[in-house]
Amino acid sequence: MKLRHHPHQSGFTLAEMMTAMAIAVVIFAAIITASLALQKSFNAVDNYFATHIQQIRIIDYLNRDVKRALIVTTSADQQTVTLTIPKYVVQSNDQDGQSNSSLIGTMRTPTISPTSSYQVNYDYVGTATPATSTVVYSINGASILRTEDGVVTTVASSTDSLVPKDSDTELTNTEYTTMSVTFLPIFTSGNVADERAGTTVFSLAYLRNKRRG
Amino acid sequence: MKVSFTSNERGNALLCAVCTIFIVSVIAANVLLNCTTRYNQASNQVRSWNEALYAAESGADIAYNEVRKIASNPSSAFSAGNGWTTSGTTYTSGTTTFGTNSLRTSEMVDLFYTDPTTGNAWYRIRSKGTSPLQGLKRTGMDDRLSNGNRFVANASTRGDGDTLLRKIDFKYDHFTATYGPTGDGTNKAIVAVSPAPQLSRRIELIAAPITPFEAAIKVSGSFYGLGSAAYIDSFRSSVGPYDPTVKTNPSDSRYADSQSGTVEIDNGTATIMGDIYGNLYTNGGTATKKTLNVHGTIDNNVPFTLDSFSIPTYLPAPQASPTKINANTTVTPPTAGTARAPTVYLLSSFDKTLTINQNGSSQTYVAIHLTSDFTGAIDVKPGVHVQFFIDGNVDVKARDIINETGYAGNLQFYSISPTDGSPQHININSPGDFVATFYAPSADFTMNGNPDVTGAIIAKSFYGNGNTSWHYDRSLDFLGDVTDYRITSYVEDIR
Repeated sequence: MKLRHHPHQSGFTLAEMMTAMAIAVVIFAAIITASLALQKSFNAVDNYFATHIQQIRIIDYLNRDVKRALIVTTSADQQTVTLTIPKYVVQSNDQDGQSNSSLIGTMRTPTISPTSSYQVNYDYVGTATPATSTVVYSINGASILRTEDGVVTTVASSTDSLVPKDSDTELTNTEYTTMSVTFLPIFTSGNVADERAGTTVFSLAYLRNKRRG
Repeated sequence: MKVSFTSNERGNALLCAVCTIFIVSVIAANVLLNCTTRYNQASNQVRSWNEALYAAESGADIAYNEVRKIASNPSSAFSAGNGWTTSGTTYTSGTTTFGTNSLRTSEMVDLFYTDPTTGNAWYRIRSKGTSPLQGLKRTGMDDRLSNGNRFVANASTRGDGDTLLRKIDFKYDHFTATYGPTGDGTNKAIVAVSPAPQLSRRIELIAAPITPFEAAIKVSGSFYGLGSAAYIDSFRSSVGPYDPTVKTNPSDSRYADSQSGTVEIDNGTATIMGDIYGNLYTNGGTATKKTLNVHGTIDNNVPFTLDSFSIPTYLPAPQASPTKINANTTVTPPTAGTARAPTVYLLSSFDKTLTINQNGSSQTYVAIHLTSDFTGAIDVKPGVHVQFFIDGNVDVKARDIINETGYAGNLQFYSISPTDGSPQHININSPGDFVATFYAPSADFTMNGNPDVTGAIIAKSFYGNGNTSWHYDRSLDFLGDVTDYRITSYVEDIR
């Protein structure tokens, strides 16, 4: 039998294969690199947004509490803020709430004491003792805690280096507080200080209840 | 066997491209989806939560404006024409919608305290603000916190994540359902909100009366004084008598009360001398502590206005006599009266001495309305409270103002503003000292000599070049008739 040779049937040459593989490698490398970069970008954006939300949450919490506080004090290192807030609503663990459960959930009536420069207070029902809560904002590792009468709430907890020392809260003359919160983004180009500064969220809240001295 | 070779198979490249585009698109869509969620929370929910407070505070401003009318124009306060309904001493507004985001607010105001001494009323303002929530109807919680650091106080708190702070009503009003419409736990009901979703915040403010004598000296025009060796300090007579050593002794428990000798000038130009143990306020001035002995705060941006003064409308009918003091006269009021219902004497002239005795042992309240100038003398015996309303000018010596009670609040001079705008003056000449207050927003006040003054002066202008020792009594803070209202308390119902 004579094997017929097909004169037009031919494979790729080694050079063609090498060229095709090289091009394919480059293309796939580009695709993989782009995908990884996109994924990293997503992670960075996702972390940025998530941490930014926590910044806003911290600011909103502090703003709300400062506005309704009677007294605000800041520690010397500006890492702890302590607020005295009137208890507007009778709660179950209050002395009047414990003595009369029907009062729980009701709003206290403000009282005026003419003998002490007409201070407005929200007293425990049936007493002349002002009902107040002590709220402390503090930093614990990468978390910022809000403690109201011993009950702890984690206001913000971050894996994104929500660096405590840059969570400044400054008090001036018991009239208003200024506060700024920063964090360190995932993507950094080496200038950490500038990149942290670029994430600063700043806020100012006036004490609406500033007491006359 | 013939093996054919097909040389035009070119599908692989297209397939690879499609797959690549698909994978990249899925990743990109994931990025967009997550970013949208974050944006929805970080932008819309935060914005609506803050706007709800703006709405509540705007409502409080609306109510506060009505409360202020009680002092300036009572007949126009809380009028039905402005949408208010009245039930006793409680006033309820309609709903006001405003702003490009259709914010809504409603308010309730009630008189909750009447000062037993002055009869001045205090008002409580409750305001609710609502902001529609724009964007997607989702909680937008940060699920990344679920890994052991979930943002939650305890199992009994409402919701999770940001809903602890920002309580969104997605379909039903959580406040009415949980605490009732007024927040006191009654009449709880499931009520659908419209538009949904939305955020509401509630605040309560206290409007306190502003009385005339809240500073040692307050003038709306020019100011010159005092002498270079003069000083203005303060004390609180309800705590104890004046002690000149307290103002320089921070360890004294009364020290805080000694630092309220405040001077307020609604002017950018003034000549200020002596020591001020209190604050100094100007309107556009350049005062600094380097050039002045001001021991408190200097603020050069405190504008204010002093409204003209007219005699109160609540005064009872006057006594039949005396009608003029052209000879030394002593009166003993027939009743003790009250701050709002004093014994009234209507006088047409006053150039001799009037002595006012106490009714028995009761605190006795007297109002005098003089329709001409005051050039005589007045002697207020212990236990007597006098409000002296004067249509004309005052020209007396300091020794002619005899206040035997020792309390400045017991002898209050009020200069009624001339309706034709003509000039009015108060001249206090030496010798002598006095314990009294003057409220004369339309009068030019001049004080000569070096008197020892206990009290307060509110006038159009002030001139005094003596080395006066001036003691503002902090107990004057809330004495006298209400001239305006200010907000003194702010709480938010965060439920």
